[in-house]
Amino acid sequence: MEAITGWWDDYFWGSLVVVKLFFVALFLTVLFGLIGAAAKLSKNRVANTIANAYTVIFRGTPEILVLLLFYFGSAITLTAIAQAFDPEIKFVDFPPFWAGSFAIALIIGSYATETFRGAFLGVDAGQIEAARALGLSNLKTFVYVRIPAMWRLALPPFGNHMLSLIKDTALIAIIGLEETLFVAEQAIGTTGKPFTMYILVGAIYLGFSTIITLTVMVLEKYANRHLEIAE
Amino acid sequence: MSFDVALIIDSIPKMLMGIGLTLQLLFLSLLLGTALAIILLLMRISGRWYLSVPTMVYIYIFRGTPILVQIFIIYYGLPQLDFVRDSIFWPILREPFGCAVVALSLNTGAYVSEIFRGGVLGVDRGLTEAGAALGLSVRHRFVYITAPIAIRLSLPAYSNDVISLQKSTALASTITLLDMTGIARTIVAETYAPYEIFISLMIIYLILTWVIQRSFGWIEKRMSRHIRSEA
Amino acid sequence: MKNSDQKNIILLENVDKFFGEFQALKNISLSVNKGERIVVCGPSGSGKSTLIRCINRLEEHSNGKIVVNGHELTSDVKDIDAVRREVGMVFQSFNLFPHLTVIKNLMLAPKLVRNSSKSEAYDMAMKYLERVKIPEQADKYPSQLSGGQQQRVAIARALCMNPLVMLFDEPTSALDPEMISEVLDVMTDLAQEGMTMIVVTHEMGFARSVADNMVFMDNGEIVEMNNPTEFFENPTSDRTKLFLKQILTH
Repeated sequence: MEAITGWWDDYFWGSLVVVKLFFVALFLTVLFGLIGAAAKLSKNRVANTIANAYTVIFRGTPEILVLLLFYFGSAITLTAIAQAFDPEIKFVDFPPFWAGSFAIALIIGSYATETFRGAFLGVDAGQIEAARALGLSNLKTFVYVRIPAMWRLALPPFGNHMLSLIKDTALIAIIGLEETLFVAEQAIGTTGKPFTMYILVGAIYLGFSTIITLTVMVLEKYANRHLEIAE
Repeated sequence: MSFDVALIIDSIPKMLMGIGLTLQLLFLSLLLGTALAIILLLMRISGRWYLSVPTMVYIYIFRGTPILVQIFIIYYGLPQLDFVRDSIFWPILREPFGCAVVALSLNTGAYVSEIFRGGVLGVDRGLTEAGAALGLSVRHRFVYITAPIAIRLSLPAYSNDVISLQKSTALASTITLLDMTGIARTIVAETYAPYEIFISLMIIYLILTWVIQRSFGWIEKRMSRHIRSEA
Repeated sequence: MKNSDQKNIILLENVDKFFGEFQALKNISLSVNKGERIVVCGPSGSGKSTLIRCINRLEEHSNGKIVVNGHELTSDVKDIDAVRREVGMVFQSFNLFPHLTVIKNLMLAPKLVRNSSKSEAYDMAMKYLERVKIPEQADKYPSQLSGGQQQRVAIARALCMNPLVMLFDEPTSALDPEMISEVLDVMTDLAQEGMTMIVVTHEMGFARSVADNMVFMDNGEIVEMNNPTEFFENPTSDRTKLFLKQILTH
């Protein structure tokens, strides 16, 4: 246990990186999920096909592979672009933070697409009709009627997506991101205690999952407060 | 940027050499994981707190931490502990393959036990009551009434988990195993052609996913013969 | 302690049943003799279902004594199993096992509980399927049958255990009107053959022609009990009168 002393602040900073990553990826995930769901629900054949391909590809491919592809691929592409301007450049690195969050967002976004799509379909058509009849514009209907109803349905499965998201952030260590696993590796180099260090990483992630699970529970209660039976 | 087709044609057979390892990891972990899941399920629904509480803790930990971290703890971390090195399991835990199988099985066991539990909860209470009224013992009711129905109910979620497991086998490449992903990474390191290699690999995984989905679709169809009404 | 009085099959003495704070059964005492047909009626929530479900321990009674064929019903699994072997139950929602064919539904309990051989169980199953007039459905799955057919299968399934008593929990309430009579006919045949029956139902025509005793329950209590003639023509309690008025004029 004493092995950990001296490493606390490194782990802290590593954890902070994880948190930043989580929120960036979360934002992108919601974005991709909404776009994907819209594409799947639209009448446009091309959009449907692209969205279908998107979900099939990113749900069926190992996450680590997607990460590796994005990281190395973008590095190669960036290098090629840079070399076009300056032939002297040997290699341009793409920041793993951004390659990683983008890749993970694409992956979880493909699951979110299905979840959001299902949730949109689950919205009572009667509510939409009522909104139209009341004279609400398309945009207002979308924002004030569709989204709140859909959010309530999407929340439980989306909670699971968030859990997957936080756990997938660990994979970004493989492409060199300096978060908790990276800290662990360094700590192991000095202390020679891999078990302790990796258990600590596990505990940090367990803490994050717990926070997410509790947050989702609170949000679910809030979203469903109008359904509680009045005394 | 050119697309090196020759490289793809050359690399695919090399990557496919890893498919044996991939499939071994998949089937072994699936078998052991499912067996573990059944044990965990029985403990969880036993009604005895000293069985169900440890099970719930186990599931919570394994579902709340990244599988990569679990793999690292088992492969890099366990050797730190003396009693592990002295135990009979050491020959297995010393090898990366053994560690990968253990990690994947423990992880899958946690998820699948919850899937089975969902199936069990989905069995109509009236059916077990009818069994009880007929004089069937608790064990008989579980084996002849609950289990067959629960299995059918669990199939969709179970097939999703098999696909997840298949994707997780790629993580074995992080602990030196030369499964398909491991081989791909070495090729990319030599050739600097991430797009060609990784995209081809993606296609291989997608085919694998498709095979799994079709197989389960067939199984589901066979098991649901009796609920298609033909009156 | 075995009750040497063979006539009395079911005895309830001062039975209470609480669901948390709510009292579903209040001081119920009832005696059922061999060959008797009891019909229990009453408004929703009166405790009729709870009453018969306590008899085969699908619900656990809170106070009082329940004795079935000499076995007192306690928390001991052996007592419960002994009782359930003698008591057959037919449910409102049939509860046929969806993953088994009709014939397998009937054969399951005899094989597992009475250790019948496959052929013994098969012969008995076919015999009862003929009794309920649907032997040709033996290899079908429950989902392929109509509601009335399913309920008749359920009756046959209970009969395959050769019970001393048959309990019916609103057996026709979930059926479309045109299928009610086929089930009631089977139940009437059963009664005429001498089966001891307790039937919870709203079917008053059936009750009048088949019952030996009518039991009216309201609010967890047995309000009135009488033979059908007296019960329908001279109800003593106001509550009974009100109930009869509501149920007979629609």
